[in-house]
Order: sequence, then structure tokens, then C-alpha cells
Amino acid sequence: MAIVKKELPLARSMCWHCQSDIGGEYFCQQCVKVQPLSKDIDYFTALGLPRKLNIDTGMLETKFYEMSRAFHPDFYEGKSDMERAVSLANSATLNQAYSTLKNPIERVEYLLRLEAGSAKEIPGKAPTELFETLLEIQEQLEELQTLKGQKGTGSEEIVGRLRAERGTLEAKRGALERRLAELFQLWDRLADRSSSDQGQKTEKEQVLKQMRDILSQRNYLNTMLANIAEALE
Amino acid sequence: MAYSDKVIDHYNNPRNLGSLPKDDQSVGTGIVGAPECGDVMKLQIKVQNDVIVDAKFKTFGCGSAIASSSLATEWLKGRTVEDAYKIKNTDIVQELNLPPVKIHCSVLAEDAIKAALEDYRKKSDAAAPVESTVAKA
Repeated sequence: MAIVKKELPLARSMCWHCQSDIGGEYFCQQCVKVQPLSKDIDYFTALGLPRKLNIDTGMLETKFYEMSRAFHPDFYEGKSDMERAVSLANSATLNQAYSTLKNPIERVEYLLRLEAGSAKEIPGKAPTELFETLLEIQEQLEELQTLKGQKGTGSEEIVGRLRAERGTLEAKRGALERRLAELFQLWDRLADRSSSDQGQKTEKEQVLKQMRDILSQRNYLNTMLANIAEALE
Repeated sequence: MAYSDKVIDHYNNPRNLGSLPKDDQSVGTGIVGAPECGDVMKLQIKVQNDVIVDAKFKTFGCGSAIASSSLATEWLKGRTVEDAYKIKNTDIVQELNLPPVKIHCSVLAEDAIKAALEDYRKKSDAAAPVESTVAKA
């Protein structure tokens, strides 16, 4: 299949083929040609969902299949190069959108990127106590590593301690994920409110910041839990 | 990915591994982390008459993070507090030959240095009025 190198039209207000007004539809009402998704479209909008965090995954799947059927390259065999290119590009965007929104963690990370704008590189903060705990566990891991090289040593004790640490860290991660679920609810309630006053904006920013902090802490815990799992194998 | 010889050397023979007493007035402690990779770095300095007489580190992370903090402690020893602020992550990148994907490790080391220096300054500022009272008495 020949791929059109020509840039796809950016604007979605006009049909690329017959130049009639398409008013945001995916198929031109005049000439019925498939229209490209806007380059700036976000994944929520692409799948026709509000920018919320609690998603009905059944509905997400239905939407995805529905749109996939409309754009799937198989249905554009024998059409013009432009139509095939549009179908391919739209399908790729949709697949990416679906796989991102399906997973709650990827979904919130994506939302944070969308909402943060230029501040997207600012990492979340984790408390110093967490760092101290992690460094202490790290020492035990190193100790275990040293003992493994020797025979008949008291590594059982360290293994026991590490198992206990693992339990604590898993509990901590569980608590973070429950808090994250609460923040999802809070975000969705804020998104439902129609007002866009300063107070609401600040509230939204607060929720985003808290979510970012939780995700960052969760990352540290995941790394450490993976290290412990590897050491205890 | 291959590590440079210098990284491997610091990784196998880390300089100044360990801890200093956190509550000591002459000790500054910086603990920082990089959420993307989950690395955590603790760097401590001991200051006497405005000169860093000792530095220790503990790092939980990859080889480059360990090497960056190990090198940082080497460079810190003997410097004045003011000079220590001049250590830049780019110097660490150059010395260790860090590849682009590992530059964030050197950034983490610079952050740890700054955090330790700030902690020391805060402590000595808080202690200063007490010292002068003692001197008067």
C-alpha cells in the first residue's frame, strides 16, 4: 500500500476533499469521505469521553470498537491514497487512546500531562521518611547479598525482616492506591461542576498535585518491591 | 548499555560510603529522589570553619547514580561551603562520561549536594544567635 507523504490537513472544520463544512464530523456529509482526527485531539475527546478518571471500561471498549470499525484500514482497500492514509492515522491514534485510557494508572498519568501544560516536567514530591525507609531496606538487601556468598550464615533473619518490610511496603502502596481512587472521585465531581471560577481552578490544581505526589511515591515503592522480590527469589 | 571505566570503578569501590550523625550541628544532610526511576540518594557533609572536612553518601539506585554520588563526595571534601555550590551536574557528566539517558543521575547528585548545603546553612543560621549568647556569657 502506497503511503501518502503529504501532511494530513490540520483543521477539522473543512473537508479535505470537497472543502465543504464538516462541523467536526468524521465523515463529510457532502462527499462521505473519511476525515482525519485533529492532530491536537486528546484521547478522551477522541473516544468521545469526558475528561474524567472513573471510566466505565465496558463503555470505553464499545466506543473503541465502534470507532475502529469506522476507521479500520481494511475497509479502505481500493480507496484513494488520501483516504487510506487518513484511516491508518486515525486507527493508530485510536489504538493509542484506548490502550492509554484502559489502564487507570496510565489514564491518570495522561490526564496529568494534559492538565499540567508547561509544568508537566515537575516531578511529584515524596516525603523524606519514605526515602529513609528505602535506604534502610537497601542496606538490608546489600547485607543479604554479602551473606549469600558465604555458607551457613544467618541470612534467614534478614530474609524474615525483608519479608516483613515487603508486607509494610505493599500495605503502603495499597493505601496510596485507595487514596488515589478517592482523588479520582473528587476530580470527577469537580469536572462535573460547570462553573470555572478561580476557586474551582485552585481546587482542581490541588487534586492534580496530590495525584502526582501519590504516583511518584508509588514509583519508589514499585522499584523497591521489585528489588526485594528479586533478592528473595 | 556499557558503563564507562570510571563509573565501574566508583561502583566497585565507592568512596565515602556511609553515614554521618544527622543531628550533629556541623552536619548537613540532603536526601533526594528521582520518581521516574525510583532512585534515592542521601548525601551528608561535615563542616568545620566553613570547610567541608568529611562527606558520606548512601544511594539506592543504578550504577550511574552510585558513581555520581561517590564522585560528588570526593569533590566535596576540602572545599569551602561556597565553593561546593559551584559543583554542577555537567561536571559530573563529563568526568564520568555519562550517556544521555543517565544525565538525570548527575542532576540527582547536584540536587543532593544543594540539599545538604542548605540543610547545613539552616542549622548554622539557627545556631548562630545561641553561639553569640554563649560567647557573651
